[in-house]
Amino acid sequence: MNETALKELLYKVADDQLIIGHRNSEWTGMGPLLEEDIAFSSMAQDKVGQSQALYQLLHELGEKQPDTIAFTRNADQFHNCQLVELPNGEYDFSLIRHFLFDTAEAIRFDMLTTSSYTPLAQLAKKIQGELRYHTMHANTWIKQLGSATEESISRLQSSLDKALPYALGIFEPSPYEQELIAEGIFAGEEALKAKWTEKVTEVLSQTRLEIGDLSAIDPKFGGRQGKHTEHLQPLLDEMSEVFRIDPAAEW
Amino acid sequence: MESLDPRVNRLNMKGFEGDLTRKVPLDQFGTFEVFVQMKEGKPYQHEGIVHAPNNEMAFVFAKEQFSRRMTCTGIFVVETRNVFVTQFTEGEDTVYNYVPDEFPQQGEKEQYEFFHLMKRGKQHEHVGAVEAKNPQEALALAKPAFINEKPVFNVWVIKTKDILFTSEEDKIIWDTLPEKKFREASDYKAGDKLKAFKENKAAQNQEK
Amino acid sequence: MYGGGNTFESVKFEGLENEDPQKLAEFEARIERGEKIEPHDWMPQLYRKQLIRMIEQHAHSEIIGALPEGTWITRAPGFKRKLALMAKVQDEVGHAQLLYSAAETLGKSREQMIDDLIEGKSKYSNIFNYPAFTWADSCFISWLVDAGAIVNQMANARGSYGPYCRALERICAEESFHLKYGHHCVIHMATGTPKQRQMMQEAIDRWWGPMMHFFGPPDKVSVHTEVLMRWKVKMASNDDCRNQFLDMYVPKIWELGLTIPDPNLRKNPETKKWEYTEPDWDEFKRVINGDGPCNKERLAVRRVAEERGKWVRQALLRPKTEYVTPLA
Repeated sequence: MNETALKELLYKVADDQLIIGHRNSEWTGMGPLLEEDIAFSSMAQDKVGQSQALYQLLHELGEKQPDTIAFTRNADQFHNCQLVELPNGEYDFSLIRHFLFDTAEAIRFDMLTTSSYTPLAQLAKKIQGELRYHTMHANTWIKQLGSATEESISRLQSSLDKALPYALGIFEPSPYEQELIAEGIFAGEEALKAKWTEKVTEVLSQTRLEIGDLSAIDPKFGGRQGKHTEHLQPLLDEMSEVFRIDPAAEW
Repeated sequence: MESLDPRVNRLNMKGFEGDLTRKVPLDQFGTFEVFVQMKEGKPYQHEGIVHAPNNEMAFVFAKEQFSRRMTCTGIFVVETRNVFVTQFTEGEDTVYNYVPDEFPQQGEKEQYEFFHLMKRGKQHEHVGAVEAKNPQEALALAKPAFINEKPVFNVWVIKTKDILFTSEEDKIIWDTLPEKKFREASDYKAGDKLKAFKENKAAQNQEK
Repeated sequence: MYGGGNTFESVKFEGLENEDPQKLAEFEARIERGEKIEPHDWMPQLYRKQLIRMIEQHAHSEIIGALPEGTWITRAPGFKRKLALMAKVQDEVGHAQLLYSAAETLGKSREQMIDDLIEGKSKYSNIFNYPAFTWADSCFISWLVDAGAIVNQMANARGSYGPYCRALERICAEESFHLKYGHHCVIHMATGTPKQRQMMQEAIDRWWGPMMHFFGPPDKVSVHTEVLMRWKVKMASNDDCRNQFLDMYVPKIWELGLTIPDPNLRKNPETKKWEYTEPDWDEFKRVINGDGPCNKERLAVRRVAEERGKWVRQALLRPKTEYVTPLA
């Protein structure tokens, strides 16, 4: 098995889960309704937990401990897509990002359930239920707010327009696409993007939101190669502020 | 105002200091009663309420507020207004003693779910369903089965179609619940560390 | 999390003579028998008023209590702490939800309660008006402030109002995670590097005063408090709760080689009661009346959260429906 290709895949997926989970956790205690505050926090916990499990797979392949990987790298060593590192903004942006990202995430892990790398396939199968809830949550909100009031529709539409170029950045091809596909590790970003487009379009068609012509959008690539917006390094500095006081200490 | 919480500093609080507009009625939405089944085969039990705009959202909220620990195999949610509540009784007196055998005739045949309160201070539990034209008829139909049984102190009757049930394919949403160990006290044992520290300290004291 | 304190002051003791004596006698007999009062039962106005006030303050304390620890939610060191702190702060929000629900069964809507909080008309536990300067402060709160809250909540869970007791049972079960997590954190800090140890000691020095305030000033015994104790609304005196807390936790702090900034703190072997320097009750009054280090920030954050979430709620509002009081 091509271990370089496998690790590259694991890193980008794990980094996505960690950064989106971290961002979403910023809403805890400040959400628009107590019940939603709780639901959004649970999903953030799921995502951070999933990233930890993925870093653990990397550790078993010879990489450092999950804590070290997560809390001591700099932005240029992270392979998450830029979508997940953007600041939360208002709830409309957080919800739209949640919808666009989680739809892709759920499909990606569904594809990974048949991965030839068994530990990854097992993990993907295990978390199917978590992802089912995440997309249920996202779809319920988007369907309802996307066809409610003028304000909610226009807020979601402008967040959607802002997020779409970054969402397309999720599918930035890996240098190892061919190897991953050939070895049956992962069916590839193109296949994922096709399924994602279909699903996102299907949900949005039940709302008054317009997705427009995706082929006319210039995707925000770079994240997968360690090129990030100005927002990621401050996020990492903040996340590791205590850990870096003494990375060898047990906290 | 500089906060110690970086999240608060990012909130951009300017513009929010002004007069507060008091909340309009239902700004927090209406309430939905939540019933949880902890294991397959166990009855659904009332666990509390969520505020939500509709059934679908109530289900999404109930899942994390009432089943984020232990185990869960299903949730029912129903809007509070759709619960038909009987009177209350006490002691050995079952509420079925007060169910009249006469009932209104209007309505179409529909299914109604029954929830019994068996002990004061506890929660209502799901016991089954009957087909009837209205809640009064449903109670009268249920009466023969319960009137000579253990006393029931209160009954909630709910039209089946008003309840949002968990679909079979969605039941996987609780699959990893037992693995969320970080939410459990049992995951935070530090007795060994404490013991080692105390022994070390005692040894140091002896050296002195 | 919830402390004792100001809950029972300044409500005028009135109206009991206007209650139906027979109903009142039945009500008191039920409590005497150890039965719970349920939302559909008859209850005196004073009982309803005091319970709403108490449960509402408790709910506010949870939602505001999410903020001092929330200060560190994005900075928790390592996966174990990150997941635990997220779950813990989430629990506080969950507790607020449960408690507001219990108060609603008495007839006050959640809109009114939240409005009263952000307009400064309602109180919450004083301790959350203090800042969490370092990670160690969040460890102190998770362990000891929650420990104090458990002392109060365990007492209140034996009270007479059914919905409140049921909410507290659920809350206390979750608090056992908070307590163990907090203790785990403090043990790691205290037995860790010299820097960690120093951080922990400084946190204790900062938080000891507010912690002693947490249980409220010594109760004034009045006819009013006697009635509330008979009705099982108030379950234990502030001093008893404080003493129970000291008895359970001072030895656990000392065994970690940490010190408590009170030279007079000791257990009297004869009375078996703890002796301590009387907390500064003037400071307590000042802070609870709005002049603490973080009062303004705490309420401002709540207000901003409500205002920023308004469009979300407005979008899904069904204005034609009528509010129905929840059932149990």
